[in-house]
Amino acid sequence: MIYKNIGKMIQKAREEAGLSQEELSSRLGYTQAALSNYELGKRRLYLANIEQIANELNKPLNYFLEDTAETAKAGQEKTQDEITSEIDKLLLELPPEERKNILEYIQWRKERLR
Amino acid sequence: MIGFDLTKEQLECQKMAREFAEKEIKPYAAELDKRPETAFDWNIVRRFAKANLLGLNVPKEYGGLGVDMMTAVIVAEEIGAACLGIMSAAAGNWLATTCLKHVGTENQKRRYLTRCCGGNALLAALAVTEAEAGSDMAGIKTLAVRNGDHYILNGTKIFITNAGLANFYIVFVTSDPKKRHSGLNAFIVDGDSPGLTLGAVEDKIGLRASQVGTLIFKDVKVPVENLLGAENTGFLIAMQTLDMSRPCLGGAGVGVSRAAYEIALSYARERKQYGRPIIENQAISFMLADMAIEIEAARLLTWKAAWLIDQGMDSTKASSMCKVFSTEMAERVCSRAIQILGAHGYTRDWPVEKYYRDAKAMAIYEGTNQIQRMIIASML
Repeated sequence: MIYKNIGKMIQKAREEAGLSQEELSSRLGYTQAALSNYELGKRRLYLANIEQIANELNKPLNYFLEDTAETAKAGQEKTQDEITSEIDKLLLELPPEERKNILEYIQWRKERLR
Repeated sequence: MIGFDLTKEQLECQKMAREFAEKEIKPYAAELDKRPETAFDWNIVRRFAKANLLGLNVPKEYGGLGVDMMTAVIVAEEIGAACLGIMSAAAGNWLATTCLKHVGTENQKRRYLTRCCGGNALLAALAVTEAEAGSDMAGIKTLAVRNGDHYILNGTKIFITNAGLANFYIVFVTSDPKKRHSGLNAFIVDGDSPGLTLGAVEDKIGLRASQVGTLIFKDVKVPVENLLGAENTGFLIAMQTLDMSRPCLGGAGVGVSRAAYEIALSYARERKQYGRPIIENQAISFMLADMAIEIEAARLLTWKAAWLIDQGMDSTKASSMCKVFSTEMAERVCSRAIQILGAHGYTRDWPVEKYYRDAKAMAIYEGTNQIQRMIIASML
């Protein structure tokens, strides 16, 4: 899981830098397949690899690690956050009348759970 | 392609480890287990050193055997079959050297990895656990404060294998407890550092030959060059080290189970009741069949995790799976072996009760099996 999260951060930083996998991998001296496997979390990333990537993408090392540690710790809390933000996102896409219906439904559910 | 043939080198290492375990460990296992108080014996360390097994996974350029993970788990199975307690001393080294070889600088590796190799090899240890930081590593309170060209360490580590015996420790500390995971750091600390003392030594139900105890750090000065990896990367270093050491536990679980199974099998063939060997009763033979199935399954899962590591792939899930399955299997198999031996199995005249007590520890140390399940579940 750690590698998957670090991999996601690498992909994010690479895309922000406007680089393709091919471009970044050639700068790092990796094959494109290796970089792809790192981004997907399939290959084991050593600290030295992460440092090299961080240097190339001008990011501090902890950019790749902090989120990872939080996710590793949070686990279930994170899932709850994801549900809440998914609800928020979907709600905003609904017309106001529908949102009101949903609010009433939530109030009804809450009442029932008491 | 899938193949289960071991290479020539792996077969040679297996043979070496089996002979070593039979000759140098097994004959002392019962005696050390029965010794009152702490039973740790330096002669065992010397035997391991003579075979260079304390430097099992240290690259050859630093004087170790430099074996791959697949070979390491095969060796762990052989030594685990002889005595898990005695094996713990060497396993402490394997943990520390695994960590050091992956994140250490060239200078750190030259200075410390070499100490674990050759005929005069010394012990090493990894120190993570604290009173309030076991499964939750981010709860670590041992504090490292920078002061010029060194750090000052203060805190207490508990349940440390090879505590008070190791030449150096890899110690996980925090630079700021509020930062939790993101404040963790790993340091190499010399065993004879002023201010570092041994606290209580644990009296355990099993692994009697292994010394596990408390380490107290009081204003211990550690030079800046002994920081492992970059600042605040201790969490990644710990996770990576444990992922890569767990398959050896899987191998050790297979080993102790194999030993219990072999005793139960030969006993069941010889012990006669109602005029025939008890193995002729389906109730007994099915128990032995189940033991054989589970041992084989655990071995395959362990080999898969080791193979992934050797391929440079992420082995996190497989490492945790083999740790859980193999260690719980070991407890079941050893328990069944006692059952097959009946009252004999429950006495200290036979080794199976010792195997059972030793095996229990494996479900607890190096990340409890509950933590392993959390890791696996998070990756489903």
